[in-house]
Amino acid sequence: MSSTPTSAYTTGRTPPRLTFLSGSVLVMVVLILTSWTYLIFGQSWPSHGFFSGETVSRASSFLGDLAGVGRETTPAYLEGEAWAEAGRLALSTLAMSVLAAGLAAVGALLTFMFAARNVMAGELAPYRSPFWTAWLGIVRLFYALSRSVPELIWAMLLVFIFAPGIIPGALALAIHNFGILGKLSAEVVEGLDTRPARALRTSGAGWFQVIAYAILPAALPRFITYLFYRWEVIIRTTIVVGLVAAGGLGMEFRIALSHFHYTTVTLLLIWYLLLVLGVDLVSAAMRRLAR
Amino acid sequence: MRSETPASPGRPRAIESRRAITLILLGAFALSLLGIDWTDGVFKPRGVSAIGETLGAFVRPDLSPDLLGTAAAAAWQTAVYAVAGLTVALLIGIPLGVIASGTLARSRAGTVTQVGVARGTLAFFRAIHELVWALLFVAAIGLSPMAAVLALGIPYGGILGRIYSELLQDVPQAPLDALRRSGASEWRVFLFGRLPMALPDMVSYTFYRLECGIRSAAVLGWVGLGGLGFQVQIALADLAYSRVWTFLWVLVAMVVLVDLWSSQVRRRLAP
Repeated sequence: MSSTPTSAYTTGRTPPRLTFLSGSVLVMVVLILTSWTYLIFGQSWPSHGFFSGETVSRASSFLGDLAGVGRETTPAYLEGEAWAEAGRLALSTLAMSVLAAGLAAVGALLTFMFAARNVMAGELAPYRSPFWTAWLGIVRLFYALSRSVPELIWAMLLVFIFAPGIIPGALALAIHNFGILGKLSAEVVEGLDTRPARALRTSGAGWFQVIAYAILPAALPRFITYLFYRWEVIIRTTIVVGLVAAGGLGMEFRIALSHFHYTTVTLLLIWYLLLVLGVDLVSAAMRRLAR
Repeated sequence: MRSETPASPGRPRAIESRRAITLILLGAFALSLLGIDWTDGVFKPRGVSAIGETLGAFVRPDLSPDLLGTAAAAAWQTAVYAVAGLTVALLIGIPLGVIASGTLARSRAGTVTQVGVARGTLAFFRAIHELVWALLFVAAIGLSPMAAVLALGIPYGGILGRIYSELLQDVPQAPLDALRRSGASEWRVFLFGRLPMALPDMVSYTFYRLECGIRSAAVLGWVGLGGLGFQVQIALADLAYSRVWTFLWVLVAMVVLVDLWSSQVRRRLAP
């Protein structure tokens, strides 16, 4: 088994690596086959099968509804007033995304040092004590917990606590992205060149000074880059937390869908795409500036 | 403006752009705070006591055998959606990614159109969140598991295709030139040069996406397609926080498990 390389790129690697990798790919293939078998044979299908003319005709009539074909009223996406109304929602969606990114950044900035192994338990640690290692573990556990639960589920929990508006949505996005940003930034610190920090240490700097003058300045550019990457993801997700958290485009999207106001759905989707596109452009420009 | 000081390149400009970024970030954050409506207070009338209930259930989830059985079934459903969705994503991402990398086209004009169309399609696919795709698919074709699979597969295909195209472009050029000089066609250069060099990173990124896929598949349950998100929604409708946290802990365990697996794979694939 281990003597037969699976493909060209694995030749020359040691046998144990090969078995784990080929085993993983094998498990993946088995998972794909089982899940498709289950999807096609293991479930009772609703009224009609998926691969049928029924699906095609339903989908095409839905697309017609989105475009407003065959309706006597003017489609919402051609009315200036509807545009302005949706624009206000888009603006509050944007505010929600910025608030979420800001809160996540503050949380991650305050904690990511404590999640870096080299700072807490490695060569840069002030004392090698179980207390510091435990602290490292706790911060990492919180990161894992906050990022494992999706934004929408955080939002579902938070709407029972906070008044409707952009706050529960922004907090849900912030909690999830706090875990992701924290983990990524801690990994940046772990990958840093530690020589400047050790030079400071040997010239008498304390732990805090080493962090403030050697580690933080080196880690911040990457942190900013990650923050903007996350912002691009956050703006795509604000509409989703808005579905439950009553802020921005999401709630209106849900209402329009359930009231069959399909041309409004189209208008909201247009605003959504404009927001996503705009944020991508701004983020790319800011990342270039940060480099 | 700054070009008058070429003697010390980089440093002053870097510091200035850092200041600019700091100012922009703080300003944007302050502006977003203005978007909040503070008049009615931040909390719901009984919101503060809900914090206590949520936190209490977080430490003491409902662990009755019945509920654990339900959770296991929901977890399986979520895993099926994630894996099947990833299959669709691969079917979208591999061909479009190869085209978007522009490595196979023969003529200059052909390259520009192909790359443009493929990139535009991928960008559109990933611009819309998977749950929005799910809502649209449910509205269009009804509550079918295929709606969940497609809703997950399309945006993930958009992401995979973009990353694949970048990885295929970023391989070292010298070995490719060597292949070309020995008479290989563009197809052969791709198959025996570009692809083998980019493949480890492509596989590694795909495994990372599986971890995200589990989370996204759990959320898809929210539109009524089953799985962990659906169970969380039912439990929340009863305000049964202890049951909510049972399902959430199962989700966390699944994500952590797949995370460990994919990070082991990625470590072994790293150069």
